[in-house]
Amino acid sequence: MNVQVVGCSHHDTPIAIRERLAFSAEQTREALDQLRRVFRHVEVVLLSTCNRVEVYTAAEGVELPSGEQIAEFLARFHGIEATELLPYLYQHGAGDAVDHLFVVSCSLDSMVIGENQILSQVKQAYQSATDQDTTGPLTHTLFQAALHVARRVAAETAIHAHRVSIPSVAVADFAKQIFESFEEKKTLVIGAGEMGEETLRYLQDEGVHDITVVNRSPGRATELAERWQGKARPWEELSEAVAEADLVISTTGSGEPVMTLEDFRGIESHLRRPLFILDLAVPRDFDPAIGERADVYLYSVDDLQAACAKNRTERDKELPAAMSIVRQEAGRFMADLHHRATGPVIEQLRKGWQKPKEEELARLLNKLTDLDEGSREEVRRSFDRLVNKLLHPPLESLRDESRHGIPHTLLDALSRLFKLRD
Amino acid sequence: MLSGVSVICFAASYTVALVLEVSRLLFRSGVRGAVMMAFAGGGLLAHSVFLYYRAVSSTASPLSSQQDWFLIAAWVLVAVYLYLVYYHPKNAFGLFILPLVLGLIATACLFADPQPYAHEPASKVWGMIHGTSILMGVVAVLIGFVAGLMYLSQARRLKHKLPPTRGFNLPSLEWLQGANSRAIVISVLMLGVGVLSGMILNRIKGQPDVAPLPWTDPVVLSTTLMFAWLLVASGITLVYRPARIGHKVAYLTLASFVFLMIALGVGLLLETQHGSPRDEQDRSQVEDTVSGGFPLGCGGRGGRA
Repeated sequence: MNVQVVGCSHHDTPIAIRERLAFSAEQTREALDQLRRVFRHVEVVLLSTCNRVEVYTAAEGVELPSGEQIAEFLARFHGIEATELLPYLYQHGAGDAVDHLFVVSCSLDSMVIGENQILSQVKQAYQSATDQDTTGPLTHTLFQAALHVARRVAAETAIHAHRVSIPSVAVADFAKQIFESFEEKKTLVIGAGEMGEETLRYLQDEGVHDITVVNRSPGRATELAERWQGKARPWEELSEAVAEADLVISTTGSGEPVMTLEDFRGIESHLRRPLFILDLAVPRDFDPAIGERADVYLYSVDDLQAACAKNRTERDKELPAAMSIVRQEAGRFMADLHHRATGPVIEQLRKGWQKPKEEELARLLNKLTDLDEGSREEVRRSFDRLVNKLLHPPLESLRDESRHGIPHTLLDALSRLFKLRD
Repeated sequence: MLSGVSVICFAASYTVALVLEVSRLLFRSGVRGAVMMAFAGGGLLAHSVFLYYRAVSSTASPLSSQQDWFLIAAWVLVAVYLYLVYYHPKNAFGLFILPLVLGLIATACLFADPQPYAHEPASKVWGMIHGTSILMGVVAVLIGFVAGLMYLSQARRLKHKLPPTRGFNLPSLEWLQGANSRAIVISVLMLGVGVLSGMILNRIKGQPDVAPLPWTDPVVLSTTLMFAWLLVASGITLVYRPARIGHKVAYLTLASFVFLMIALGVGLLLETQHGSPRDEQDRSQVEDTVSGGFPLGCGGRGGRA
């Protein structure tokens, strides 16, 4: 029984290699199909994200493909040289492979530790492999255990609770603390900065759909508005647009503030709800004094970075607890896996003891003809209990030894002592 | 056997629930939410049993003493707390509501009058309407106060640009603002019904042989003052739109709480004829009831002067 992982990740592999190795959903299906044909009787799951490409293989009684074979397959599939790929690939076997998958699934090996996306990517990889019929009992057990561990880590630690990217902190730690829902909120985007777009993506996930874009260049405003299914307004209407908005994301490249305190005072009385302003521009687009006004919540990049740093510290405090859960679960998983290897011996032991028990029981019951059905049943139960008690110590020893690997010596001893056949 | 339930039983349960709420600030736990709800729920059950036995053992109008009134207000607040914790388990409502609950219970035990209000057949219905609506109005003010405090706490954090503190999650400002506004509307409606029914009650009582409650009675004056304030507050929010948003509505609910404290303080500390028996028949009924005693488990202020 064997499990291994071969792959590369953001730790050591440059993005130039990672992007060439990445699999689309369609490519994943095709690759799994090919792997099934090339490595018969081997279970395969292919995990491909923007930060990693990993091939998990598992088999019982069959040799697993080597790291070189997997590298050659990946290189051939993507039309690159295997030699170009080999220096970046890692290979983990058995316990290390299990540890690795658990750590990956819990987002403890992600570029942004604690991000939620990886779990759904692992689920997706497992689902694709199941759909392509490349999974089997070992990979089912392994991936279901990985999902269980990830859920445990999420429930018992706050590793996912602390966002560490500026857009996610802006939305989760601040915008969602101001607004209960985003469906009816008016969002104003000023400028066309990349971080603004990323933040808008988070907000759209939360339900924002009423988007207005204001840009000095009307053409650019219209283009952005079309992309975000919003509407464009001329630059001259900036103040009115701010007054009507609930959320403002500002990312212009202006050297001067686009809104001064004086400008803001002119529209303050028109505010309908608390106003949330994300000033992601450097230098800042909004006069910081605006943030001092009642019911205005103004955040600059520095503010958000400070919150990110604080969250990072908090999240790092959760790492030992998360790793402890992973180690505990990986140990349990490996013990179970090893214990499964003892199954045939246990089965033979049971059968071997069952036969003499039945013979002795039959002999005894034939002699005790006066016994009623209740008493006969009691005698039968007594014999069962006796066999179970006699079997208990060797079975417990097998379970104990399984914690450290497949107990070959003990299995051999039991087979020889009780003359068990292979 | 259940009649042996005392105030200590449910007050202790609520205290444990509060301690568990506080422990959210210190460490994470997967089972704490369930344990907290079990303690608060168990406390509410004991509280209900206590009030039930108190109601059935009274020869006067059931649950009509000042002491009962505080205990029922606490009961309603715990029910609201359980509802909120069930639907918003991550938010720290208990840190704000449970101290109020314990404060109401402590006031009931230490300061409130255990004597039932006098009743007579003609005024019983109006008495119940009066008591219930004032009670609900007060609970609405208390909930508004809690929402106002939470709003200011959340707004302060957001103004200081701090990420949420572990174990101290609060609802969004929008949610709290809605709760504040609704609390003002409900409290003004309930207190309006309470004041109106009180006037009718006083009119009924004002028969030739029974002295009516004077309008200058401290409880009447302070309650009217609170109602007037709430009327003004709701009028302001209706006419002046900015008062409906943000800090302003939170401040209105905090101010309402101050008026409530004045009204309750006046009722507890000053000489008042409100709810006192004003004829011999009432007086003898009340004395009979009080002499029966209650399984309160703690002392009350005793009879009225």
